[in-house]
Amino acid sequence: MDFSRLDLVRRSATPLELDLVESFAQGRITRRQVVKRAAIIGLSLPAVSMVIAACSQGAPSAAPSASGGEPSASASASASAATGGSIKVAIQRPVQVDPVAMQDLGGYGVVAQCFEFLATLSKDGSDIEPGLAESWEPNADGSVWTFKLRQGVKWQDGKDFTADDVVATMGRLVAAGNSGLKGVIDDKSTVATDPATVTFNLLSPNGNFPYLVSVFNAQTVITPKDYAAGTTLDAMPNGTGAWKLESFDTATGATYSRNDAWWGGPTPLDTLEFLFFDETGPMVTAYQGGQVDCIVQFDVLSGEALIDDPNTNVIATRAALHRQIWMRVDEGQFAKKEVRQALAYSLDRDAMIQQLFNGRADLGNDHVIAPIYPYFDDSVPQRTRDIEKAKSLLGGQTITATLHAGQLLEIPDLAVLIQSNAREAGFNLELAVESLDTFYGAQWCPAEPADPPCSGAAELGIVDYGHRATPDVYLNAALKTKGIWNSSQYSSKPFDDAFAEFQAAIGVEAQKAACTKLETILNEDVPIAVPYFYNYLAGSSKKYQGIYSSALGQMFFSAASQVA
Amino acid sequence: MIRWLARRLVLSLITLWLLATIVFVIANVLPNDVGRTIAGPFAPQETVDAINERLGTNDPLPEQYLRAMRNLVTFDFGNSFQNRQPVLPAIVGAVGRSGLLAAYALLLTIPIAILAGLFAGRRRDRSADRAIVLAGVTLSSIPEFVIGTFLVVVVGVQLRLLPVIARPPENANIITFLSFLAMPALAMAIVYFGYIARMTRAGTIEVLESDYIRTATMKGLTTSQTMRRHVLRNALVPTVAVIGVQIGYLFGGIIGVEKIFNYNGMGQLMLMAAQRKDIPMLTAGVIVIGIVYMLATLTADLIIAWMNPRARLESGR
Repeated sequence: MDFSRLDLVRRSATPLELDLVESFAQGRITRRQVVKRAAIIGLSLPAVSMVIAACSQGAPSAAPSASGGEPSASASASASAATGGSIKVAIQRPVQVDPVAMQDLGGYGVVAQCFEFLATLSKDGSDIEPGLAESWEPNADGSVWTFKLRQGVKWQDGKDFTADDVVATMGRLVAAGNSGLKGVIDDKSTVATDPATVTFNLLSPNGNFPYLVSVFNAQTVITPKDYAAGTTLDAMPNGTGAWKLESFDTATGATYSRNDAWWGGPTPLDTLEFLFFDETGPMVTAYQGGQVDCIVQFDVLSGEALIDDPNTNVIATRAALHRQIWMRVDEGQFAKKEVRQALAYSLDRDAMIQQLFNGRADLGNDHVIAPIYPYFDDSVPQRTRDIEKAKSLLGGQTITATLHAGQLLEIPDLAVLIQSNAREAGFNLELAVESLDTFYGAQWCPAEPADPPCSGAAELGIVDYGHRATPDVYLNAALKTKGIWNSSQYSSKPFDDAFAEFQAAIGVEAQKAACTKLETILNEDVPIAVPYFYNYLAGSSKKYQGIYSSALGQMFFSAASQVA
Repeated sequence: MIRWLARRLVLSLITLWLLATIVFVIANVLPNDVGRTIAGPFAPQETVDAINERLGTNDPLPEQYLRAMRNLVTFDFGNSFQNRQPVLPAIVGAVGRSGLLAAYALLLTIPIAILAGLFAGRRRDRSADRAIVLAGVTLSSIPEFVIGTFLVVVVGVQLRLLPVIARPPENANIITFLSFLAMPALAMAIVYFGYIARMTRAGTIEVLESDYIRTATMKGLTTSQTMRRHVLRNALVPTVAVIGVQIGYLFGGIIGVEKIFNYNGMGQLMLMAAQRKDIPMLTAGVIVIGIVYMLATLTADLIIAWMNPRARLESGR
């Protein structure tokens, strides 16, 4: 340990930064975690290098990369690149391309080509890096965040990008009740300190705030200040991003051309063509038939052939993608905790992971703290299938219920497995699988009654959750009292308090302590059963390189090129 | 004949009006908050109310009905609830695509199926007849999407003979264009071969047993002359009627084929509109498909009238 180097950093560090440095110095977090966390709290790369070098045993460490978390096998630009050309991308048909209101991966992927985030996706697809914001830093306790905006950025209509655009965007998101920002900022929180600086005065300290205005909160793309609520991308094409929308037809697809004024420089490719699909099967056959070069997302069941295809770059990201089996805790048959626990104990999670993902998933333990998070606590005992325990919890009764699910990827198959597993414990589940459009509005979170939100939800159902770099959205929206996506109508003061503790935590250790409580409470109360966190899979032909993807359906082509 | 035509047109217009009224009633009887559907589940109630006010969904139903009928006359179907873009261009695009595919499929199947039916009808109960009947029954028993899947896997993916998805590039030449639509058209043509061939065979057998054919033969006409002048136009009457009805189905009912080949015809458009409660799109689609059905059956009737003078005389009464 080289204390002289370490002390150099300690003397100038804020309390937030100091906590990180000490955690690493004492071996409580890994090198990967310190790099990841440093990027979030604004600790400079030279300082991070110095800390890592100081704590290393032998030779000085190489400069840390910007990557952290679980790296994806993104297609790296290693071969010589040819400029020009086009790429055809198969993507889920977007339900809508309203940047504020979109809720589906198709919409996220389409919009993210034109609009950008304050914090964008890192090139390895696992973390964030500066986007429209060049840098950000918190105050001492993480309750105020200051973002320095990138200079020289222009909208595609020629106007300058300024702090006013950010303020207006955040105002629209707050008004729309954005799931990631609700309770974090309000309509007065975002202030344009000057044309190049935005200050966020949070409602309470939050050490993860940059993630909430990043690519991992998909609706927080920055739109022009005159972009009225309800405007869709195709109605008013614009953006600061690398691509300009040339055409959009919800029936067929979208085309983009290079944005020559993009701040990141000219893209190697000339054009993009997105082809919309409703199901993964046709996407995969289109790829196998050579009619598309890239698939934004596929699942193991329908895309097994691609995983072993030597001509395909598979982008596999260990992620927090999961399914929540919600159960109404306020009324009906699942109001009793024992019944919910019984269902949870009936699930054969290992078999589900093997059958649905061929092993490409992490075990879930009926909470939303995914194993990829640095503050995940694996000391909470893993729930495993125990039919006898399930039966004893049910006390010999038979529960008959309808299990609702949306038609998406492996969810219908998961529903069948749950039905089969649960039957042995005494659950008679009838399956009702619907199209996503119907399912979301009719079963998961009906608009009426509006207060509390989702109080019209079905008694039992399966809903999909996309990847988030922090669990804030899952905790806030799906589980907190009166959360906007709280289909189970879960309301627990200990949970709400633990969540507030997590949000206010200003160090990894403090976050981990809060997460232990969250995991324990959720595992015990089981408002939702979470059987797994699965890997995000995307793929592209080896004729292309430089493509990278988030686990939220946003695939980026600004650095993509054809292999020469 | 002109009177008949005029009567058909009037009946068609009445039918369309009834169709539009039924769609309007269904759309307004079912529980649905249009503003909420557009704004999304999390929008504030004020936003939802403003949208409903702008669209006039809070107006009295008779007023909404009159407005809907007035718009129907001018083909103003309004904007899609989903993407807020005008409905008509989307409908026109989808009808065009469905029409192309239907025409291609019928062009592939009609000549072959009619020839096969005539051939089988002339050789009733012989091995050729049995083979054609068996093929027809078998092929029409297999759903078109099953045949489509087989074609995709074998012809498209494994052999790479034809493109897998029916999305011709812009400015494609005619050969390229036809190659992109070949597999979905073939999937439909294979299924319809059975219907058309068997219908033609039945018509041929019935006509061949009639007195006037016996007279023609005894008059000394050759077999080919008899077939051309007397059998063909009489045997094809029921076939033309069936094809007329099937055209309407081809426009809106082949959702399975459209999904497999990712072809965005009327089937996909209507399915999406129904799933997303996009009432303007749904209304427009139903009306347009109704118009297609009417035009197709009218055309079939005209062809039958031309082929069969008795039909002209009967319609004139």
